[in-house]
Amino acid sequence: MEYIIDVQDIHTFIGQYHILEGVNVRVPEGSITALLGRNGAGKTTTLKSILGLTPPSQGKVVFNGREIQGMRSFDIATLGIGYVPEHRAIFRDLTVEENLKIAERKKGDYARKQEFIFTLFPNLKQLINLSGKNLSGGQQQMLAIARALVADNRLLLIDEPSEGLAPVLIEVLMEAIRQLSTESTIILVEQNFLVASKLAEHYVIIEEGRSVKQGKMKDLVDDKETIHRYLGAA
Amino acid sequence: MSAYIRKNYLLLIVLAVLAGLFAAAAKGMESKDFVITLLRGLSVGSLTFLVASGFSLIFGLLDVLNLAHGTLFMIGAYIGWTVYIRPDTFVDLLTPLALIVSGFLLGDLWTVLLSSPQGATRSLLGGRMKRILPWAGILVSALILFLVLSRYPIAYWSLDNYSESPVAIAYNAGQGQDVLEPPAVFERISPWLAFSGLAIGSLLFAFSLSLFGQVKISVPRITWRSFLGFAVALLAGLLLFVFNDTLTGFLAGLNRNWLFLIAVLVAVSSGVALGALMESTLIRPLYIRPTYQLMLTLGLGAIGLEMVRAIWGRPEFTMPRPELFATASGDGCPATSFADWWQYHCSTMIVLDGRIRIYNEILIPIIGVIVLIGVWVLLQRSRLGMIIRAGVQDREMVEALGINVRRVFTQVFALGVGLAALGGVLAAPSIGLSNVMGDSVLLNALFALAIGGLTSYPGAALGSLLVGLLQQFIIKYGQIGIPIPFTEIVFKPTPPIVPASTILLMVIILLILPNGLLGRKE
Repeated sequence: MEYIIDVQDIHTFIGQYHILEGVNVRVPEGSITALLGRNGAGKTTTLKSILGLTPPSQGKVVFNGREIQGMRSFDIATLGIGYVPEHRAIFRDLTVEENLKIAERKKGDYARKQEFIFTLFPNLKQLINLSGKNLSGGQQQMLAIARALVADNRLLLIDEPSEGLAPVLIEVLMEAIRQLSTESTIILVEQNFLVASKLAEHYVIIEEGRSVKQGKMKDLVDDKETIHRYLGAA
Repeated sequence: MSAYIRKNYLLLIVLAVLAGLFAAAAKGMESKDFVITLLRGLSVGSLTFLVASGFSLIFGLLDVLNLAHGTLFMIGAYIGWTVYIRPDTFVDLLTPLALIVSGFLLGDLWTVLLSSPQGATRSLLGGRMKRILPWAGILVSALILFLVLSRYPIAYWSLDNYSESPVAIAYNAGQGQDVLEPPAVFERISPWLAFSGLAIGSLLFAFSLSLFGQVKISVPRITWRSFLGFAVALLAGLLLFVFNDTLTGFLAGLNRNWLFLIAVLVAVSSGVALGALMESTLIRPLYIRPTYQLMLTLGLGAIGLEMVRAIWGRPEFTMPRPELFATASGDGCPATSFADWWQYHCSTMIVLDGRIRIYNEILIPIIGVIVLIGVWVLLQRSRLGMIIRAGVQDREMVEALGINVRRVFTQVFALGVGLAALGGVLAAPSIGLSNVMGDSVLLNALFALAIGGLTSYPGAALGSLLVGLLQQFIIKYGQIGIPIPFTEIVFKPTPPIVPASTILLMVIILLILPNGLLGRKE
């Protein structure tokens, strides 16, 4: 099978802490893969290590057939990886439109993608001149995802999209993410197993900095023991 | 609206009190004194703002407290003075400068040499050689450059002989006398040896520096374009050498207004180049160690100060005002209107029976406002400004979008230092050149930023304005005195109260609004 991204046994330190101690993630093109695990297991750090924000000290990250570990973050992103971080990281002093425009990599990216983005999130269109700090949590999350769509990204890294959102909004977001997966491959970090299990086709469980189990989501849903052991929930 | 008032009532109260104080201060003096004091306050505020805005841009985006900013303000003034008073020295310096820069314009070639697997340099870079080679190269090239430069003829003033010192030159220039010395000639080194030495030294230096870099993943292709910058720099160096006397003569014969404009441009671009060099070589390796960075900027400030002392000497000297502001008295001066001023080039103008200095109290505030608006437009309307505003909040996210934040860091640092240099060269004809001219300006700028809010651009403007006005009003009241109500005492603030009052204002405002007037909560 063709993998768009192949993370091979990466180790990452933050300061002197050994956060990742051997993580493997393989993601087939055009699918959603969920990274599962408890708080502090290393899911976010895995995403950041792919992007080079916390560069791995060992191991390989192969994106689209090319080794990218050790490259600078902005070079990695330019290869076609979009990032929707935890807590959204919307630019508070920029307007919604500026938040989208800043993500342009080529001139005209925003103009080209505008229609697609606003069909996906019709709400954003009315907020276009509002500054980021005046958005609600749900609107910020939509904007954060929209921002990752402005440039041509083959891979999207989405971190905890449902965090702190009302159930109605989570439904909307799930629908949006499902639509996106027809265009690009997605790695999703999600605490809410229900959300993750509905969206993702594949899963990787990370436990104490190691990837301990991966496979197809539909097998995991029936595997109560694994769920209980690693995710602590049913 | 009411929500805004509820949220910012403290700020509104403080602003109302300040406005009340301002009105009271205005009422306490005659209108001519008021106009003069107001304009002087604007002038000091503008100079403060030029330093404060750069400082705050740098701190906001890079988290670097650039304590060398006062020194860079001073260096801007001294560079501007040199171009203005001694164009021969300036022109003489251009050729070596172009040659030294030339090697660094071959960046692509160095990358390729370093990256190509069969490249000769790769095999040299095994084991211990990898550590020694760059340093050895830097040492050898520095030696070559030093040997050549110490023999390179540059028309230069003398610090030991008073009649040839900057003080005397500046005085003579102010009297309208010619200050150029006979052109320097090649005696201790032949021109061609000097040129080839500088070019070779530069090539070796640039190559050695590139050895420190990592092997890049994307290797550029070598075409004739890769050599374009190098060739242009070499050619420019040679042309400047051939036409040295012509250019010097042209500059020296130029109207003082145009020469001043050129001096300002050279000072600002030197500031920009110096800032870019500082950030990319010295500041950049220390982003992970902020305390070291702070000490580095402090040390750089001290080094800069000593270099200025070594080159231009310790005594203070003046910079004559450009011709438009030169005529002190007689023949229609002091002017009574701008038309008079334009016709007679007066240095002063009568406004409401008071005499104001046009350069200090009108030109400088106008430039301050132009810069204020210009940088504001840059921040709000350009892509660079958008990246800066976003980066102030979250650098990591900006980088994750595929933007080279480090390059933006260099640009912002260069911009900040350029603004400081602009402040310096503008201040020179007004307050003169001295080794300490940067200190008080930096202090004022720091107070202004604390008052206005550290990383807020409008805050920098408001704080600078307040500091300038407060100081000038206190100085004025030191002359005319404040009658204390219900007594016969007239209180005259003494000079030491001037800086103290600024600090007092800062303390009061910080007690009420811990983030300054327009600063954001941390």
